[in-house]
Amino acid sequence: MAEVVLRDVCKRYGNYNAVDNVNLTIRDKEFVVLVGPSGCGKSTTLRMIAGLEEISGGTIAIGDQIVNDLPPRERDIAMVFQNYALYQHMTVYDNLAFGLRNRKVPEDTIKAEIDRAVDILGLRDLLKRKPRELSGGQQQRVALGRCIVRHAKVFLFDEPLSNLDAKLRAHMRLELKRLHRRVETTAVYVTHDQVEAMTLGDRVVVMNNSRIEQVGTPWEIYAHPRTRFVASFIGSPAMNFLDGKVRRNGSGFYVQAPGGTFHVSDQGSSELAAHDGGEIIVGLRPEHISLSETRTENALHGRVELTEQLGAEQLVEVIAEGAKIMVSRVDAERELKPGTPVYLTVEPGQLRYFDRITEERLV
Amino acid sequence: MSLASSAAPLPRPTGLFDLLRPGARAAFTILAVSAVLLLFLAPIIILVVTSLRPGWGVYYIYRGTEFTLANYFEVFQRGVVIKAFVNSFVLSTVATIISLGVTVTSGYMLSRFKGWLPKTWFTSIYVFRTVPYISWVLPLYVVNQSLGLYDTFTGILAAHVAVHVCFFSWIMKGFFDGIDPSMEYAAMIDGCTRWGAFRRVALPAAGPAIAALGILSWLWTWNEFLFALILTGNRTPLLTVTMAQFVTELGTEWNLMSAMAVMAMIPAIIITLFAQKYVIQGLRI
Ligand SMILES: Nc1ncnc2c1ncn2[C@@H]1O[C@H](COP(=O)(O)OP(=O)(O)OP(=O)(O)O)[C@@H](O)[C@H]1O
Ligand SMILES: [Mg+2]
Repeated sequence: MAEVVLRDVCKRYGNYNAVDNVNLTIRDKEFVVLVGPSGCGKSTTLRMIAGLEEISGGTIAIGDQIVNDLPPRERDIAMVFQNYALYQHMTVYDNLAFGLRNRKVPEDTIKAEIDRAVDILGLRDLLKRKPRELSGGQQQRVALGRCIVRHAKVFLFDEPLSNLDAKLRAHMRLELKRLHRRVETTAVYVTHDQVEAMTLGDRVVVMNNSRIEQVGTPWEIYAHPRTRFVASFIGSPAMNFLDGKVRRNGSGFYVQAPGGTFHVSDQGSSELAAHDGGEIIVGLRPEHISLSETRTENALHGRVELTEQLGAEQLVEVIAEGAKIMVSRVDAERELKPGTPVYLTVEPGQLRYFDRITEERLV
Repeated sequence: MSLASSAAPLPRPTGLFDLLRPGARAAFTILAVSAVLLLFLAPIIILVVTSLRPGWGVYYIYRGTEFTLANYFEVFQRGVVIKAFVNSFVLSTVATIISLGVTVTSGYMLSRFKGWLPKTWFTSIYVFRTVPYISWVLPLYVVNQSLGLYDTFTGILAAHVAVHVCFFSWIMKGFFDGIDPSMEYAAMIDGCTRWGAFRRVALPAAGPAIAALGILSWLWTWNEFLFALILTGNRTPLLTVTMAQFVTELGTEWNLMSAMAVMAMIPAIIITLFAQKYVIQGLRI
């Protein structure tokens, strides 16, 4: 039961800022996911919360206590590591009991706790085994079990699923979600996989270059990305970005892009008002584009370059005046030969506009 | 042996060995194995046979048929031999125990910590390692003389511990480098101090490696000759030096020397037979 508050948190290695002025409040019982490309400082942030890494600047509070100077063992946290970090020389039972024994919990309480965790995680038959004798997924569950038995204030996860194969990862993702609903504990989860971030997080924190780019619910992050980076990082296939020019059309606006023009919605007009005649970036998601082979008004004209058949849908890459545009959710049965002329349209409300220089969303 | 170039075409032969017919291959293997065995076993066989021959027969080991255990009895009637065995045993054991304490902790420090202390420590043992082992001896002799430690158990013990620490801290560092530190982080989060994480998680994980290293250190001291020769005299007889003393002005008593050498090999043999699994496993982490 605890809130975690990071205030102006920094981590420096020599001259390099691995984490730069991070401000973040994680509410009680919330599941927050830190996501970002490799090297952006996610693990470092998590390890500072855990106390495994010294904090170069700012404060971290767990509950109402500032923990900057507390060693990990006094922070009342539990952590799952990417490679599970099970104690190789102990049985599964002893692995689960280790943290409780250190806290001088009586053996019968320990047994009861382990019983509970074992039921949640389905580890009943594995208690006498050593970690070496377990599969990746089983080791993963033991690592989770080590968290559950502890009743810690905060759970920390550092890419716990990344060593599993795709199928098991999808399965464990659901398990984790179910688990969090059962044991309701504040959790911070680090991943570079945007699918994990979107599916698991109550809120998602997108990091890039040692800084936080945006904090929001998965939907907010997807629908209203604050920067071009967030827009490109979240969503698969990634958002298309086109160079556009803003043009006035009576009381409203339209955007001139390679291969054609876009209508702008009323909301969009207010966003673009300050950029009349200016150059911007237009973002359009592959799944919001409809592709037609007949001439259409207010569409981008281009030619099919490549198609990728996924069975349920097709991905189509279109080239419009040299700009590459990815289109998804195209009917799998449609036959689109390379070179076919096509017209791309998007609901005006789905377009996103970004500044060319700052790459921030226009408001 | 015949090359099977005309026989059934083998798919893409990769080496001479693959060109041989299966039968020839087996013969080749047997031959190679026996050559290696001969190379290593022959001296030992000659040693054992010599140790069982009467003194006048040692130069005719391939002819004579008289065998005797008298050499063994004679060797062990000499007080100095028994003393040498006891001394060497105690020295190896004590030096190993002391040095393991240092190599394990210092190997761990070198593997896990950064800063001026590990750096200085690293540099100093590095320097000592690059100095040829023989060049240690004379300075050590002078030091031991001036401290009044020449020909004492303490003097030779200190020298051996120093060598163990310099030579084996590296190996220990390598072992700990191979152990994932996140296990220790997990332990620290699970309620251990930094020291507790080392003692309760890293140390047991390195157990086989430590056992292997202990055995290597022990054997190193048991077999060591140069330090023993220079740093000890009559008051502290050690195995290897005592063995060499069968070479006298009146000739070499090969039979007695062999008997003692065979006895001295016994620990190595026991270790090879019983602890080999450990050593190999340990060295593999
Ligand atoms: N001990 C260290 N010394 C110097 N630089 C470090 C150290 N540890 C991490 N860094 C640097 O800090 C940055 C952030 O590292 P961090 O491990 O937090 O990345 P990450 O976001 O978790 O990436 P990944 O997804 O690859 O795990 C990286 O650029 C890394 O090179
Ligand atoms: Mg990381």
